[in-house]
Amino acid sequence: MSRVVGIDIGGTFTDFVSYDSATGAIENWKNLTTPADPIDGVLEGLASVDDLEGVRKIRLGTTIATNALLTRRGAKVAYVTTKGFRDVPFIQRGDRRSHYDITWIKTKPLMKRADCHEVDERLSAKGEVVRSLDEATVRELAARIRADGTIEAVAICTLFSYIDPAHEQRIRDILAEELPGIPISISYEVLPKWKEYDRASTTIADAYLKPVVSDNFRRMQQRLDAVGVGNRIGVIKSNGGESTLAGAAQAPVQMTLSGPTGAVVATRALSQLTGIPHLVTFDMGGTSTDCSTVVDGMEHVTTSFEIEWGIPIQIPMIDIHTIGAGGGSIAWIDKGGMLRMGPQSAGADPGPACYGRGGVDATVTDANVVLGRINPDFFLGGRMKLDADAAHRAVEAVAARLGLAVDEAAFAMVQIANNNMLGALRAVLLQRGLDPRDFTLVASGGAGPVHVCDLMEIAGIPQGLVPNYPGQFSAFGFIMTDGRVDRHRTVQQTSKFFDGRRASEAMTELVNGAIGELVEQGYSDQIEVYRSVEARYLGQNHELELTFPANEFTTETVDDFWNRFHEEHQNRFGFSIPGETIETVNLKVVAVAVGNKPQMKELAAAAGAPSASGSRKVRYADGWHEVPVYDRAGFLHGQEIKGPAVIEENASVTILLPKQTLSVDRLGNLIIKF
Amino acid sequence: MDIVTMNILESTMVSLCREMGIVLMKTSYSTIFNEALDFTCGLADMNGDMIAVADYCPAQIGGMPLLVKSCLKEIPIREIEEGDVILHNDPYRGGLHTPEHTFFKPIFVEGEIMGFAVAIGHIAEVGGMAPGGFCGEATEIFQEGLRVPPVKIKKRGQDNIEVWKLLLANVRTPRVNYGDLRALIAAVDLGEKQMTNIYRKYGKEKIRETVEDLLLYSERRMRAELEAIPDGIYPFTDYVESDGIDPDRKYAINVEVHKRGGDIIVDYAGSSPQAAGPINATLGVATSAAYNAVLHMTDPSIPRNSGCFRPIRVMAPPGTIVNVDFPAPEVGGNTETHPRIVGAILGAMSKALPDRTMAAEGATHCNFVFGGVEADTGEFFACYDLEAVGWGGRSFADGNDGVDSINGNCRITPVEVYETRFPWRIESLAFNTDAGGAGKFRGGVGYTKQMLCLNDQIICSQMTDRHLFAPWGLEGGKEGGLGATLVQKAGRDDWQTMREAYNKASTSRYSNVAIKYGDRVRLVTPGGGGYGDPSERSREAVAEDVREGYVSAGSARKFYGYEAN
Repeated sequence: MSRVVGIDIGGTFTDFVSYDSATGAIENWKNLTTPADPIDGVLEGLASVDDLEGVRKIRLGTTIATNALLTRRGAKVAYVTTKGFRDVPFIQRGDRRSHYDITWIKTKPLMKRADCHEVDERLSAKGEVVRSLDEATVRELAARIRADGTIEAVAICTLFSYIDPAHEQRIRDILAEELPGIPISISYEVLPKWKEYDRASTTIADAYLKPVVSDNFRRMQQRLDAVGVGNRIGVIKSNGGESTLAGAAQAPVQMTLSGPTGAVVATRALSQLTGIPHLVTFDMGGTSTDCSTVVDGMEHVTTSFEIEWGIPIQIPMIDIHTIGAGGGSIAWIDKGGMLRMGPQSAGADPGPACYGRGGVDATVTDANVVLGRINPDFFLGGRMKLDADAAHRAVEAVAARLGLAVDEAAFAMVQIANNNMLGALRAVLLQRGLDPRDFTLVASGGAGPVHVCDLMEIAGIPQGLVPNYPGQFSAFGFIMTDGRVDRHRTVQQTSKFFDGRRASEAMTELVNGAIGELVEQGYSDQIEVYRSVEARYLGQNHELELTFPANEFTTETVDDFWNRFHEEHQNRFGFSIPGETIETVNLKVVAVAVGNKPQMKELAAAAGAPSASGSRKVRYADGWHEVPVYDRAGFLHGQEIKGPAVIEENASVTILLPKQTLSVDRLGNLIIKF
Repeated sequence: MDIVTMNILESTMVSLCREMGIVLMKTSYSTIFNEALDFTCGLADMNGDMIAVADYCPAQIGGMPLLVKSCLKEIPIREIEEGDVILHNDPYRGGLHTPEHTFFKPIFVEGEIMGFAVAIGHIAEVGGMAPGGFCGEATEIFQEGLRVPPVKIKKRGQDNIEVWKLLLANVRTPRVNYGDLRALIAAVDLGEKQMTNIYRKYGKEKIRETVEDLLLYSERRMRAELEAIPDGIYPFTDYVESDGIDPDRKYAINVEVHKRGGDIIVDYAGSSPQAAGPINATLGVATSAAYNAVLHMTDPSIPRNSGCFRPIRVMAPPGTIVNVDFPAPEVGGNTETHPRIVGAILGAMSKALPDRTMAAEGATHCNFVFGGVEADTGEFFACYDLEAVGWGGRSFADGNDGVDSINGNCRITPVEVYETRFPWRIESLAFNTDAGGAGKFRGGVGYTKQMLCLNDQIICSQMTDRHLFAPWGLEGGKEGGLGATLVQKAGRDDWQTMREAYNKASTSRYSNVAIKYGDRVRLVTPGGGGYGDPSERSREAVAEDVREGYVSAGSARKFYGYEAN
């Protein structure tokens, strides 16, 4: 029982990575994804594991929740709220997706207005009961829902329930009694934080997903039970943590962003393995690119995510910024004569012109072929031959319109695509107050290594890292995952009248709840708890998050917290207001069941440069260079390569710039520096 | 043109503007800033031309070029030193209205001034005759709050204490204003610091050339869009219902759009003489409104800078409601008259451009402002908040329900934030049935917000519109629902308008009404006009509207001949 298998179900391939802690051996393989029922592809891949009995854990990223939300194939939800406020999910925040777009159509919530109901109850902003709950109206409502007969799930969100959930809980208990078998989500359990629209939207999404996710997980459980691994399966939540299938079905909104977290968790593991504290991920595929950060060895978690514009889902999830730019992004020229790349993509079918499947539009991948950066005879390790002439023809058409030589146009295409991806890096670094000069850029996905050296240069990131198997990095992340629970709650107080006991009670409840949830799911490993408090100057509306050392708020720890807040405000925003009242808003807890971290096999050491397997012409900023080509497979620890150079491997290729140096670390990661 | 550098520089600068905005959003105190996002951050060159801007508040985007230019007339470049921060809010010096505060900081590279980092933000409380900055009964600019001509709030990196003292002594909420002012300074500090790095990275000459190319590129794209619109002269007239002073007068917004080739001229001749009350627009506002309308009719992906405004010209006769003379009041010009102008231009162009125009939207931000002394702390509070309205029906889709008017893109403040901050209890927030103008594509609906006063007294003022003249429809579409403001005094059952309850001249603009503990206020926001003949509306769409409660069974019968079962 020493093996862990990580599985990432992608659009085209399902990736598998297996790790054996007894031997340190890592294997990886893939097979085609089976869109009709992805578990077929999973079982097919698992069938090739000769010793399934010896597998201790199988971890799986799933897109069931994401797809149900994106395609709007969830349950028919009834929404229950405080009297006077059933239109909150429809009014939303009153802003628009973008300025100046008169064609925009406002996003509809996940349920019908006719299925929104009000019950007579009200709390004040301080949590006092202004109107007690009229239980008779709740029972009448239950009768109406029962009579209607089409409702599949119920979402409950009442005003100020984050201060006192008694009304919400009572409404749930009555409805559960009156409507047996219909799943119910209440906002206090999904997201006990202020701002009613965001909380309502998240709660509605949870209810919307419950029937579809639990059906799916039940079937998955049965199929996995049938091959005898049902008790060893874990699914990946949006916070990058693992959960049992049953646990995940209880709170399906936690599964909204499961798959893309793998690369980030893998990057956190890299941080532990290499000792590099700050990393930024750059996961570039055919149609999209994901960026995220690991700071001080921890992934960045956000609660401001929208499944589509205007529909917030504010559960704690790994903060991944996705842009629609990838290898398949298509070149076009706008009315002002500017070359643009994407967001239209050639996708996988027909794909870039060089795929030879009938695509004629020039894409980023075609430009990379024209520039000699991608070897048409060694794409995907030679499994796919590319049509270099088709790439050339496609780029030539763009070049003619711009009045440029073909290689100049191809180079401009790559630069503009790089600039689009730079936008994603800026969003996760500079827009969060993080300095790119403190970071290492981690390239993954098939196209990540091709562009990583360019991105380091334009983003001002001094170090790059290409991990082993960059194409299967997400699945690799899943073998490194821990059981993890995030819990937040709004508890507003000010530094003027701070009640330490109230804060201590709330923090203790959060910590016990988070640990309890992990224990309930069977995680008996060592559990680590991280506490933090979000605070701001009284009057501000956005918070800074600072760690907090213990459950108890003592005079000492609280005074220290106020001091640290002023310092942090100065650091982040360039000013502080000494003596100003500080308001605490949210308490946050992360509980992690720390598993045994894999010990990776180390490479034998060697000095100097590896020997090149050949050379080819590659176009750089200053023109064409004949550059050496290396095969990554034979690299040893400590070897160094000076750019310009090309490093090929099965899933990808790294294009080293002239002023860069690449070295191989003890685990086989390629470390790039200027 | 170096397309690659231009592409990179443009997105880098816009991203920087966005970063400045994030600092503003995260550190400011007024809800109008940090919840509603009523601010804009941009970059200007040394001529005052806007070279990049982030998409926050559209009214301010169009106003920025004139703002910086007029400031530079008053403080010549040679008197600006490294580390200075200039503050300015005067509507008669290129500003938009008194609450809008503009900060700009020079960007110096090797001792030479290259341009400015600019942040414009709406500060809720500015002194003057009514808390919250929107006195509906002002008759001169001096009553609308403290006018700040271009002054240095920081000199060579140091706070100019005299300016701070003057500013904070003249407002009701100095603690909150202090936080907002600091936030605006932090934003321009960030913009200046990062832009200096960008100049260092590319070199002054390269940036100058590229910015010039970028402005030309935007201009080229704008002209290409305009060329695709049929040439012609397009007139339209709409009306502002009252100025808060004279109860019986209405004010015409007259536009004549002349479109020829790649040029467009908006001529406001025939608009009413300026009003005694605060509904007047400055030339800056009227210009910004014309830009806003044209940007809505053209490709939204054109980089926003002074270049895309070059093909647009505005003719506004002085002494009118669209180019007011000193010292008339004008706070509502920027919020109410601006969207009325945009609506008139879109109405004028609706035949020529049916896919990029719409019937009238609610065209008001409601602007219900208030202040008072908080019972618990004794601290003065003041609030400026805005509400969403129904948008107009379009030739291809219904109008959106509950969206901020076209010159803002601001968010409404959540009930839980509002009640935590201010002594009101919101009792309901509900869409207005039948408020979307009937049509083949119906107008969007507005909503009603009902509030109960929990303080001994709250002093309220308002600057809204559409209590008398409903949002118009197009191509046979019907009018959208009117807005209203009603009060129910404690112990009474009836609801009265502000005119009835407090003897005000207008129901929609008034100032300093004392709402007492237990009184209720109802804000009804207008809907949008419908597009096309209601009889052509699909039966499924009518049935859905009835099921979902947007249209009553009675209206379905009356306008659509539809019998609900």
